[in-house]
Amino acid sequence: MTGTAAMLAIQWRAQRRRLLVWVLATVGTLAFTAIAVAQLYNTPEEIASYGQAVVSDALVAINGHVEGIDTLGGIIQDEFGFIASFLMPLVGLALVAGMTRGEEESGRLEALLAGRIDRRSPVVSAMLLVVAAVVVMDVGFVLALLAAGIELGPAVLYAQALGMVTVVFAALAAVCAQVVLHSRGVYALGFAALGLSYVLRGVGDVNETFWVWLSPLGWLEKTAPFADEQRWWVLLIPMAVATGLTFLAVGLTRRRDLGAALYRQGPGEPAASAWLVRPIGLALHGQLGSFLGWLVGSVALAAVMGALAQEVVGAILGNPSVSEAMGITRHDAADGFLASTQVYLAVIACGYVVQALGSLRREEAAGRLEPVLAGASGRMRWLGAQVLVVGTGLVVIVVLSAVVFGATTSLSTGDSGYVGTLLVSGLAYLPAELVMAAVAVLLYGIVPRAFGLAWAAFAAVTFIGLLGAALQLPDWVLNLSPLTHVGNPPVDDIDTTALARLGLLSALLASAAFAGFRHRRIPQG
Amino acid sequence: MSDDIVRIEGLVKQFGRFRALDGLDLDVRRGEVHGFLGPNGAGKSTTIRILLGLMRLDGGRITLFDRDPWSEGTRLRGDVAYVPGDVSLWAGLTGGECMDILAGVHGGMNPGRRAELIDRFDLDPTKRARDYSKGNRQKVALVAALASEVGLIVLDEPTSGLDPLMEQVFQDVIRERRQQGATVLLSSHILSEVEALADRVSIIRRGKTVTSGTLADLRRHTRTSVHALTGSAVASLDMVAGLEGLRTGQVDGSVETRFTVGPDELGQAMGLIHAAGIRGLTVEPPSLDELFLRNYSEDETGAVSA
Repeated sequence: MTGTAAMLAIQWRAQRRRLLVWVLATVGTLAFTAIAVAQLYNTPEEIASYGQAVVSDALVAINGHVEGIDTLGGIIQDEFGFIASFLMPLVGLALVAGMTRGEEESGRLEALLAGRIDRRSPVVSAMLLVVAAVVVMDVGFVLALLAAGIELGPAVLYAQALGMVTVVFAALAAVCAQVVLHSRGVYALGFAALGLSYVLRGVGDVNETFWVWLSPLGWLEKTAPFADEQRWWVLLIPMAVATGLTFLAVGLTRRRDLGAALYRQGPGEPAASAWLVRPIGLALHGQLGSFLGWLVGSVALAAVMGALAQEVVGAILGNPSVSEAMGITRHDAADGFLASTQVYLAVIACGYVVQALGSLRREEAAGRLEPVLAGASGRMRWLGAQVLVVGTGLVVIVVLSAVVFGATTSLSTGDSGYVGTLLVSGLAYLPAELVMAAVAVLLYGIVPRAFGLAWAAFAAVTFIGLLGAALQLPDWVLNLSPLTHVGNPPVDDIDTTALARLGLLSALLASAAFAGFRHRRIPQG
Repeated sequence: MSDDIVRIEGLVKQFGRFRALDGLDLDVRRGEVHGFLGPNGAGKSTTIRILLGLMRLDGGRITLFDRDPWSEGTRLRGDVAYVPGDVSLWAGLTGGECMDILAGVHGGMNPGRRAELIDRFDLDPTKRARDYSKGNRQKVALVAALASEVGLIVLDEPTSGLDPLMEQVFQDVIRERRQQGATVLLSSHILSEVEALADRVSIIRRGKTVTSGTLADLRRHTRTSVHALTGSAVASLDMVAGLEGLRTGQVDGSVETRFTVGPDELGQAMGLIHAAGIRGLTVEPPSLDELFLRNYSEDETGAVSA
């Protein structure tokens, strides 16, 4: 294909930093998890005890059904399971969405395709770069697993199975990029597919049906890298699917115009409504689409987890020696599970605020902020409207998710008390989420170019929230995350003085952000 | 190979229910600068995108170097350089790097000419693209296109961000490139630019070619404005066919007469003025602006054809 080599060179130059960040982030997360697990479970007895403690349908639904859970590798796979389910697909989606539809949207692809570059080349070279990144990632995974004491064979199989998840979602994104007009549409379709894969795998694992085989995440666990009988051949499935999807995407590029999509919106309003011309209306308009995406994701997770609550209670009470030893009664059997779910929901809420506030930087870089601020709309009023809209969105996501979580938990356990308890615990995370939002606004208000640090902070909060307790990280590390200070409701009591401190901190950071934004140069790309 | 670098006949492009191109004709001959004029939304960029194989056509015929740009475009476009209307660069790369990437997908740049043009366009190639103004982004794309060793240079409203000084440099460079044998398709709505550069012009409106030809051809179909001061009133002017905008008055004891007239009746009108005793006379040839406006005025569509 003419120009694929040239396209590869161009994409490499423009994207190498992103590729590097993703590779480092994924390898770092797995390496950290694997080594921490290896240190915690360093005797055969401890490894065996892990297997007995975690075998419940709810945990199988969340982390996946791990074959060979009585090995060190199995524990790593189980602990890494939940994060991997989202991280690995995200890498593929983000890289391909940016390199294909993102470049096309920006207009850069037009200038390139007007030269000696075949119109199929951008998709092909994007996929080649993703595969190359995955190979590097796999090498990093293998080294990390070897360092944790895993044997070479299982390490290679697990690394490849993880990498294949990225490749499949990358190929899926390549197809979506031909179907919709904007890269955010690619993300939306990709996340919908991810949610479906997760649910299919979860339901399939719990009911032990073939549904697992319909999910790319299911293929990952069906390779069974740490079981007695490994299934190397399962890797052929994601390879075939990714190849098929890539061919489909390449075929679609030959059938469409540049800048066009198979799906197009119809005509819109001829004039702005009275609402849209106000700062708050414009802010709302810009944020609505992604807000709905986060809301759906959060509520769906809450509903699924709530529905699983009874399974957890059953599993824990079904093992009287454990439950009696720990003093667990029917009433609080589900609390640990519910508390971890609250942390997951809080992580989603943090992701929403960082993403939503990051869109302000894109507005500015795209030059849309200047004309707005050059008019009668003052800086403070504009930023105030944006922050108000994001803050309201956060409250809506938190409240609705908590209500749905409480309702489904009550239905599955038959205990209506959960509605109130879970609403209160959901709301208790709000001050911590506001700190995350304030950090993001502060970065935007003072050094917009460093907004990537907000994502780094989010990644740290996610890692600490999802794995901090399981890996028994030191307290000072756990305390870096605002979520830690809430007090882990409903297992432990909410620390109200800590909430007040978090609220105060977010107010201080936000004031600094507004003060900084008032004085800084606009625009900054 | 024929002398037509680009040949377009009856080109049709439909976007949903909107007909962007509705039977457009255009031909660009080897070695000429061809002005492609039209108001916003007339279909200039769409035509260029089809010509460059970025979009498919829904009807009509189009050839680039006698070949089909959609199916064979990749090879053909090695001999084409293009500056899109909206230049977007890689924010993290320098202007010099962006320029090399853009030119690299065409024929590659002549290094001497690259350095010369960077100098003449007063561009700093070490700045990051995100720090460039619109005009400087455009200069990056212009240097990449104009320093390329190609047979056809396609420019889509290339000077919208340039100041008058740079506009002058741009015009000089285009003339030099033509002397070196390059063919240029220059899409624009800036008449003075086209007037200064173009050998032939095609004017389009609502996806159709309204008129096409050399500037002299096109002027033949437009009107000359006359402003005369005479000793006595000019007689029988109302007998001249197609004379328009007649206004008379008195200035310092002379009779002032103004009107516009088509090329065929100009001599007759001059005779009448001469007979009335000329004291002062201004005759303005039709400007391209008039040509342009005339071809756009709704009711006269199709009245003029080359």
